[in-house]
Order: sequence, then structure tokens, then C-alpha cells
Amino acid sequence: MYMKPRLNVIWNEIYCKRCIICVEVCPVQALAFERDEIVERPGCIRCYQCERYCPDIAIEVMDEEKR
Amino acid sequence: MIDRSYKKLLKLNRFPHTWCPGCGIGAVLKNVAIGLKELGWNEQNTTVVSGIGCSGRMAGYMNLDAVHTPHGRALTAAEAIKTVRPDLNVIVLSGDGDLGSIGGNHLLHTFRRNPDITVFCNDNEIYGLTGGQAGPTTPEGTKTITSPRGEHHQPLRLNRILTAKSPCFYARTTVYHVNHFKTCIREALLYKGFSFVDIISDCIELNGRRLGFKTAHQMFKWFDERFHIVEGVRDHLENDELGIVKKEAEVEVKAEAKTEVEGKLEVLIEGLKLLTLEELKHFDGTNGKPIYIGYKGNVYDISASPLFQGEKRMRCHIAGKDLTRDIETAPHGEDLVYHFPMVGRLKVKAEAEK
Repeated sequence: MYMKPRLNVIWNEIYCKRCIICVEVCPVQALAFERDEIVERPGCIRCYQCERYCPDIAIEVMDEEKR
Repeated sequence: MIDRSYKKLLKLNRFPHTWCPGCGIGAVLKNVAIGLKELGWNEQNTTVVSGIGCSGRMAGYMNLDAVHTPHGRALTAAEAIKTVRPDLNVIVLSGDGDLGSIGGNHLLHTFRRNPDITVFCNDNEIYGLTGGQAGPTTPEGTKTITSPRGEHHQPLRLNRILTAKSPCFYARTTVYHVNHFKTCIREALLYKGFSFVDIISDCIELNGRRLGFKTAHQMFKWFDERFHIVEGVRDHLENDELGIVKKEAEVEVKAEAKTEVEGKLEVLIEGLKLLTLEELKHFDGTNGKPIYIGYKGNVYDISASPLFQGEKRMRCHIAGKDLTRDIETAPHGEDLVYHFPMVGRLKVKAEAEK
């Protein structure tokens, strides 16, 4: 149960070290860090920046067919 | 959709890895794995050698045969492997403290002998593992735990040392400029000879906090201020430039290979139109005309793109223009452009005047 799906991204709770690069790199501020968890707000444009910058492979943008 | 098959090259059962939150070594590990996977290198034909330090742990997370060597001796072990088994691709994953200071002598002489190995140096400008002491690449004036009033020695300029001799490959990039980083990794892996990629990385816990940065992303922004990318292949790099330095040795065999490539290019060019920037402006999609854009000297027909349909522009990209610069600021990579057919070549202004 550690792969937590959000609206557009999957967040891996165990791999994540809460460096919040994904939150700061997001161009539309769709990700936020609240109560020790990465949460997603509506407005994701699926630019894959969070996945490309994550050093821990902890966040992934879901593929179109899985949504 | 991103190709995630690089995960097969990582030992995911050992994850999460041991580095601090926000450390750039994770990004180096991931992008090197992506680069290896793109070229089809796997456990059958690749060996990883790593030295000591935080970045020395990288070999342990790769699903490849790996050697973890004594401090500074990563290059000697790599050269020995390459000498005994020339069919193997040997890559070295190490840090600036391991390669530059205690292994500095080996770096010079491995560079001199020019074996076909690829070195990825995680250059975080500090001795990260031991607590943040000033290292060989620490810039002058930086506050560290051993230099509280600012480091007063000049740093070791790897960009000058490793470009001094004629056949050489040196690339400098940062973990923030991801597209440039991936290009450098690919070029270095494909280069036959000693290739060195100097990856400016962040050590947020032991260096960044002392310098006043709160998060890793603030350090990334600092890299963006300090460095700028220079395009093309250069013969040297200044201290604030990111780019690729490549010098070929003057060998006859290589000259023959070069003419073959040029011949092939000319054949390609014959079927394509030559367009100047002025002519390119007409193809903007109005009145049923096709939509053309310029990219790196080539013209692509992007009429099939759903994002450009019916309108002149898509957010910030304007049709009928040279978009080479735009791709660096775009959230997507250049692979999007290559989906579309190439229809011509751009004429440079100087050529057009002739």
C-alpha cells in the first residue's frame, strides 16, 4: 500500500525522502507537501518535470491508459 | 510517455538509496541508467567501477557487475579491466574527491594513456561523506567546515587539465540541465577513448545549508545563475560554461571515416528543400498551408501535431520560426520534434547573402 495514486501521479511513500524537488519544480504548483505527504491539487499539465527531476524514482506520472 | 525500462538496470530491492534527501547523486544514477538503456548496454557487456565516497555507492545500486575499489583507484581498476577484456564497456562512477584529490595522479596518467573508458564524476565541490570539508574543486571563497572564513586556495580546474592533450573528451553539465545532461552522457558513452563527464551536483545537507540554501531546488537555481550552456563542440571551456569539449587525434583512418559520413549527408540533403528564415515564416498554417518549424538547422513539418491544429501558435511556440532556443525552456525534450518528418534544411543568413 505504499504506492499512493493521486490524480495524475503515483507517489511512492517508501522511496520518497521528502526533498520536495517535485513540489518546487512543478510549473503550475499542482503538487504540495502537506502533513509529511506529497498531495496533488487539480491543474496538472502532465509535463513530467517531477518525474524527470526526482532523484529517488519516487514519483511517476501515470500513463494515459491507466488513468 | 517516458520509457521506464531503465529500472531493470537498478537494484530496486535496495531502494530507497542511502543518500541524503535532495542529493544529486540519485539524479546521476538515474540518468546514467537511462543513458545505458538507450544504447542497449546491459549486464552482458558492461562493468561499473566506483571509488570511495557518497558517489562510490552508485555501483552497488546498478544491476551490473561492479567493483568497489580502494580510495582513488577506480581508474586503475577500470583500465585493468579494459586491458584484459577489451570487449567490455567500462564505466567509472565516482566523485570529485575520489578522482580529483586522492586519485589525481591516476586521473592524469589514465588521461595520458587514453583507454576507452567513460568516467562520470559527481562534482559536488566538497568532501561530502566526511562532513563537508573543503575539497579540490571547492571554489575560492566558499565557506566550509574547514574554511569558515572562506576557502583561500584556487580550485583544481578539471576543464583545463583534461583538455590539455589532443585526443580528449571532456563534458561539463549539471543535474539541473537535464536535457544537456542526457546529451553529455550519450556522447561520452559513444566516444572511443577516455571520456570524462564532470557533473556539477548538489550536496544540500553538508554544503548547501552552510551556504544559505534551504532546499535542493534553490541550489539548482544557483547552478543556473553560475553556469550557462554553450552549444556545439568546443576546444576548451571557460569556468562558467557547460558544454562538450572534443578533440580528435590526427589519424588517417579517422579522416577516411569522416569523408564517408559527409558523403552520406550530401545524399540526404539532395531530397530536401533549402529554406531561409524569411521563407520559413510563410509556412505558419494559415490558409491551409503546412506548418513548418526550424530546429537545429533542419526544418520539420509539424502539421500533424494536434497541439498546433487550427491555430497559429501553441502557448508559446510560434509556427514558422526557428525553435532551437525554445526547447531548452520547454518542459518536454527534443524527442517531440523528431516524431515529425524532416522536410528541409535551414539556410543560414550568411549563406543566403552569397
